[in-house]
Amino acid sequence: MGFQLQQESRRKFLKQVAAGAATVSAAGIIPSRAFSANKTLTVGMNIPMTGDLAPWGLPGFYGCEIIANNINAWGGVTIGGETYDLSIATYDHAYETDKAVQGMKKLVLEDDAKMVMMLGGATVAAVLPWATRRKVLTTTLLPSDITPDSEYLIATCESHPLYNVTGVEYLAREFPDAKTAVIVTNNDVEYGLQSTATYQAAFEVAGIEVVDTNLHGFDVTDFAPIVSSVLAKNPDIFCMATSFYVTPIMEQLYHQGFTGKIISCTLDYYHEIIQKTSVDFVNGTIFQFPDFDDPALLESGISFPDPAGFDAAFRKDHPNDWSAVAWEYPVILLNWLENAKAAGSVESEAVIAHMTNNKQEFVFGGGDWWGSQLWGLDNVLIGRWPVVVVTDGKARIQEYGDLAGWLEKNKDVLTKHMKNLGLRTI
Amino acid sequence: MNASVYRTAVLIAGLLIGLTILPHFLKYHQQDFLIFLTINILVVVSYRLVTLTGEWSLIHAVMMGVGAYTSALLSKNFDISFWITLPLAGVAAGTMAALLSYPLFRMTQFYFLIGSFATGEAIRLCWIQFIKPFGGTGGISAIPSPELLDIDFLEPIPYFYLVLIIVTICVFLLYRIEKSRIGLTLHAVHWKGVLAESVGVNTWNYRALAFIVGSLFVGIAGALKVHYIGTVAPKQFDIGFMVFILIWVIVGGYRTFYGAMLGAVVLSVLDEFLREVNQLRPAIYGITLIFFILYLSGGLERLPQKIGSIFRMRKQGNT
Repeated sequence: MGFQLQQESRRKFLKQVAAGAATVSAAGIIPSRAFSANKTLTVGMNIPMTGDLAPWGLPGFYGCEIIANNINAWGGVTIGGETYDLSIATYDHAYETDKAVQGMKKLVLEDDAKMVMMLGGATVAAVLPWATRRKVLTTTLLPSDITPDSEYLIATCESHPLYNVTGVEYLAREFPDAKTAVIVTNNDVEYGLQSTATYQAAFEVAGIEVVDTNLHGFDVTDFAPIVSSVLAKNPDIFCMATSFYVTPIMEQLYHQGFTGKIISCTLDYYHEIIQKTSVDFVNGTIFQFPDFDDPALLESGISFPDPAGFDAAFRKDHPNDWSAVAWEYPVILLNWLENAKAAGSVESEAVIAHMTNNKQEFVFGGGDWWGSQLWGLDNVLIGRWPVVVVTDGKARIQEYGDLAGWLEKNKDVLTKHMKNLGLRTI
Repeated sequence: MNASVYRTAVLIAGLLIGLTILPHFLKYHQQDFLIFLTINILVVVSYRLVTLTGEWSLIHAVMMGVGAYTSALLSKNFDISFWITLPLAGVAAGTMAALLSYPLFRMTQFYFLIGSFATGEAIRLCWIQFIKPFGGTGGISAIPSPELLDIDFLEPIPYFYLVLIIVTICVFLLYRIEKSRIGLTLHAVHWKGVLAESVGVNTWNYRALAFIVGSLFVGIAGALKVHYIGTVAPKQFDIGFMVFILIWVIVGGYRTFYGAMLGAVVLSVLDEFLREVNQLRPAIYGITLIFFILYLSGGLERLPQKIGSIFRMRKQGNT
């Protein structure tokens, strides 16, 4: 009964956010808080907004701005009997650890941020000792940041790179003749290696042999020799794992006449790739991050308010900035707000206690806490994850994969591959 | 005590007193900024020692990393106290510099610059490639902070005082080295290298000595930084940071002892102020740099002279 009430309240809240979106769209304005008597609730974003990793920070801020404007247009959010206007405070750490430490303290102690969203990696490791001691609820897009002691660090949206197994499951089922794969990706611990281990595990489970793995550094400027060397193994599948160099690698695959299946974690800015190659070439590429005007996001079980309206609002103001994180930070923000409303408090201890003690609904459906098996703490929210395929030049969801089910059956295979690559597991 | 020495002593005492009370007037995140700035002072002053011989290296940031990784690995894997790992960090960076001196100082000028860059990248790539023990790109995290009595060094003000004491000692030692006979010889190696050799100065030895001592001190700076942040990763010591060190020294000026410090302070504070403008920050920072280079080519250290000469010219014009 309690859960049902909570669900109804949750749906009502998401409808309100969606209605706010409609109001803002119709009026064509961004609401001002100047006339509001509400208190201000600040949420922090300690992210890269300049530098190489800005594409995985800045679009997330734009997305959160849309959500905040929508909520404020509706009159704010009521938590614990108090109505607040939502404010997003940012700090650009440019993916530098010392700046990340400064940013965390500025957001929490000076801007009074009640929760801080981060990208992940070394910048999260740098803020963790202080954030944990201060009990600051911090979110990451990289669950591998989680340690047995990081009780205030959670990953409620992206479970990178675990969800990649759903793409491989789809590929193996739809293209049973594809039996060999090569992996080419960057050799960093946070993205490339974590993702490589996951793809290796998924390929093993699917009965696909990995005939070559090329882990290159960040100093590569010419991908022609790398792509040539792995294509010499005649693979049926080319996997880019989580590559920072998707566009130049796709260009090389196009120029070198690869006709097999291509699978990748992300395909950010795929319209640019199409311009540099062709629609026919990019069609069929499998990856994991949908556009939000996808009709498949309208089906039941998806808990994001008016995804198409969000997609349109984003692209109207920032037509060239959509990336995977554009909707991920907003998802984290909405999840936190729902839990704060349900907990009746914006304080970290109350919100995280409510999160971990109650059933969570993941944005694409499902919702289980996971992570202790690999990183020592169940602070990763996993659920169904979309498998996206480029169809007629547009990213379209083909199905939602069952990540929890795969992990239940195959976590030992995943752990084995992570250990083989020297990655931290418990 | 002559008047000049007296003035300098009063100025330094005033500066130290000012720095002692400054953190209490700063916001929390600015206290962190002050810690990193103080550490960067040691970085640029130690770099200046290397440049005294006329050699501009691109490995100084990596040497800072050698110290940082040494201290991190020793304290995390062997549970050795920060008070022991701190000097060992300097020794490790100095030893690494001594070993690298043999191949590097077979080159001079531009070739040395390129050689030092390549060597530094090779070391950095080792940190990335060998996940055990260096942790790859993610580096090493959960590095313990120093322990002394009941002082909480995770808080910025106690750590700032620790950094201030250590950096003041190091900067004083570097100053004494520069003003000593060795320092004068380093200047001679730069400006009158052939003459110095003709009177029996082994220029190779002195260039190597400057490199080793500079690396020793920057290794200590590296250890100071990672024991506060709690994490060390290769990106902290990449060419981007090295370029910042170069910019601080060039914009500040490298003819006086205080020039490089001035550059680090002014540009770091400017960068911090520009945070309010978010994405416009790199553009404004770049324009400011171009302005400095065009109109203050001798560095910020020349600013008092420039202002003085402008006033003198006006005075002459009026008379």
